[in-house]
Amino acid sequence: MAIVKMKKVSIIALQSEKEQLVKRLQKFGGLHVIDLEEWITEDQNKDLLIDSETDKVNQLEAELSQVKFSYDFISKYDKTKKKMFAQKIQVSEKDYYENLNEKQKTNDIYEQCRAIDTKFAELKNAETKINNLIQQLEPWKSLNTKLDSIKNTRNVNIMLGFILTKYVEEFKDAIYNSGAEVNIEEISTDKENTYILLMNHNSAEDKVSTVQKQFSWTKVAFNDLTGTAEENIARLRNESSSINVEKEELTKKAEKLVQYKEFLEILHDVLANERDKNAVVTNFAKTEKSFIIHGWVPEKQASALTAALQEITDRFWIQYEDPNEDEEFPVLLDNPVVVKPLEMITEQYSLPNSRAIDPNLIMTPFFVMFFGMMVSDAGYGIVLAISTAIALIVLKPQGGMGKMLGLLCLGGISTFIWGAMFGGWFGVNLRPLWFNPLDNPLKMLIFCLILGVIQLYVGIGLQAYKNIRAGKYLDAIFDQGLWYLFLSGLMMMALPQVAVIGKYMAIGGAIGLIATQGRSEKGIIKKLINGVLSLYNVTGFLGDVLSYSRLFALGLATGVIGTVVNAMSSMLGGSFFGNILMVFFMIFGHTFNIAINVLGAYVHSSRLQYVEFFGKFFEGDGKPFVPFRTLSKYTK
Amino acid sequence: MNIVDLMNSNGLYLAFLGSAIAAGLAGIGSAIGVGIVGQAAAGVVTEDPSKFGRTLLLQALPGTQGIYGLLIAFLIWTKIGVFGEAVEITMQQGLMFLMVGIPIGLVGFISAIYQGKAAAAGCSIIAKRPEELAKGMVYAAMVETYAVLALLASFLMLNGIRL
Repeated sequence: MAIVKMKKVSIIALQSEKEQLVKRLQKFGGLHVIDLEEWITEDQNKDLLIDSETDKVNQLEAELSQVKFSYDFISKYDKTKKKMFAQKIQVSEKDYYENLNEKQKTNDIYEQCRAIDTKFAELKNAETKINNLIQQLEPWKSLNTKLDSIKNTRNVNIMLGFILTKYVEEFKDAIYNSGAEVNIEEISTDKENTYILLMNHNSAEDKVSTVQKQFSWTKVAFNDLTGTAEENIARLRNESSSINVEKEELTKKAEKLVQYKEFLEILHDVLANERDKNAVVTNFAKTEKSFIIHGWVPEKQASALTAALQEITDRFWIQYEDPNEDEEFPVLLDNPVVVKPLEMITEQYSLPNSRAIDPNLIMTPFFVMFFGMMVSDAGYGIVLAISTAIALIVLKPQGGMGKMLGLLCLGGISTFIWGAMFGGWFGVNLRPLWFNPLDNPLKMLIFCLILGVIQLYVGIGLQAYKNIRAGKYLDAIFDQGLWYLFLSGLMMMALPQVAVIGKYMAIGGAIGLIATQGRSEKGIIKKLINGVLSLYNVTGFLGDVLSYSRLFALGLATGVIGTVVNAMSSMLGGSFFGNILMVFFMIFGHTFNIAINVLGAYVHSSRLQYVEFFGKFFEGDGKPFVPFRTLSKYTK
Repeated sequence: MNIVDLMNSNGLYLAFLGSAIAAGLAGIGSAIGVGIVGQAAAGVVTEDPSKFGRTLLLQALPGTQGIYGLLIAFLIWTKIGVFGEAVEITMQQGLMFLMVGIPIGLVGFISAIYQGKAAAAGCSIIAKRPEELAKGMVYAAMVETYAVLALLASFLMLNGIRL
């Protein structure tokens, strides 16, 4: 339906004009180039050579990664606030390509960024070392001896070390009791350890070291340091602050580079497109003097493609073909503005097959209606519709974000309508336009199930349409027509006025199904068995219909939670502060309710489409249409 | 007070028990479910903090059972007059209220846990292929179906109680 018809296009042109032609094709932006592997195989076209510009692509990749590095680096120092939906930079085509010649500038910027980055890493390293050393020295601050003078004399061993504080007394006792000649001086104590200066006579070395081992003494040595611990700490602090100064200077340097940010953004796009231009060539085949492209182009753009090529040269050959009966072509969807947001829902499931039906148009009213019924509060609908509409108008978001906002806006409008129908306004029940589901739940439930039956019938109808389109008229009658008859009959039996007709319709349908559903089997018995078994599908249909009861249940949840919020916050009211608190609580509660229910409505409406509706007819696995075109991240 | 009077008037306790089952059990389930997803989500976010929003969507999913439970509890309270005039409730009616709480309480309890597990698995979809988030959400929503049906069952039962 709304799957765009494609033409298969073959182009043969001269190597000498390849560069210009490729450039023009990229600007044209409507040609999906077919992978070479698909049409050059061992038995087909094997005489053709494969074109490629690998060297150029690699070189451009390298430049691009430089630009990316510089850009990421600079972005860290860009203090201007990031906008959520940044406007793209406008660049004229001439300026655009001139950027390609700025290799020197790019390289300079890259080198500068690199240098600053490396220097930063070095400084950080040095700083860590200094901080570690300071930490080690800290406990010895009160030691007045110069660190370089703490070494063994001829008869006396002097050492620094620490043990766990809780063992200090035991440690001392053990050493004194061992009879060794020692002097123990506690320098300082922190949460865990006690730091000790220990002197002992040479003769006592063995005894002391045994005790030390016993209490896991950790030896400390400051080999390269001169002066006292305190002097050293002061010196290191000095060094640290000079590192900080250096860092600040570097930061300033880096911040100066921020002015190149825009240049890098443009360059990024230019290089990326150049790379694409050279990469696409990989899917061209060539002979000595010519090259060949196979691709897909939307039917409507075919003549524009020829015209675009003619702008460059008239020495080329082009041919358009319709795809074969069984040939898959890339899928491009074309839908009205209102339906566009729904494409997101379908694409999340799977892109429809090129030969299948695009469900978006038919799905839209159902999805939007279900969404509204599940949230079903007119007040919430207004909030949702207006806020998303403002976002759409002011920010003009592209792509997925735009589709999402569009979807929520449609959902908001529908929510408003259904909320008014059922009389829910911010959790307060006003006079409903139709009826209040809380007062008449059965009516509501039946209404939901009827909607379900309608959507399922549409689904079955689409399958029938597909069969008819493919010329399988009998399949349409047997597989879908008889089911219509049977199911409608069953449902009519529930209504007294038409119960009799319903009974005969159901019986007729059932007999028809028993007779036809086993038709692909061999042998009369197998045919019959399969026919009878097929009637069990009615339980599947029943399950599908009952699944639509969620419309009611989720709508109920929104309304009642809204009431709960109102009831609880009005309990707070009364005093002045109570009233303020009440307002806050109401705003918070209703915001929460909107958020959780919009999420629920989105997920559950999607599920109804995916499981119940798509299950009846949908064929996915379409390959997306990816045209060769100018892509831009920052520019336009 | 003789035994007949007792039988006739003390249904209020049972009604409260019913609402406690609805809000309590479903709430426990949601708490467990949301917690399970939170653990998985935190793992994904350590790798890539920009995925916070998406994981949060998945984490919200098993939270609905608790809301459904509270909803039924609230409707029970409204009906037995907790907020307004007290209503006389017999033992039989009280038992009915008790049973009203059971579908959403039990199904909410179990389904929230399993929905949490499904959503936690969905977090690994976000880790590897963030564009397929919707599929992860649908897997989790499949579990929720039964909580929705239980909510409906509880609601219709409640609606059928005549005072």
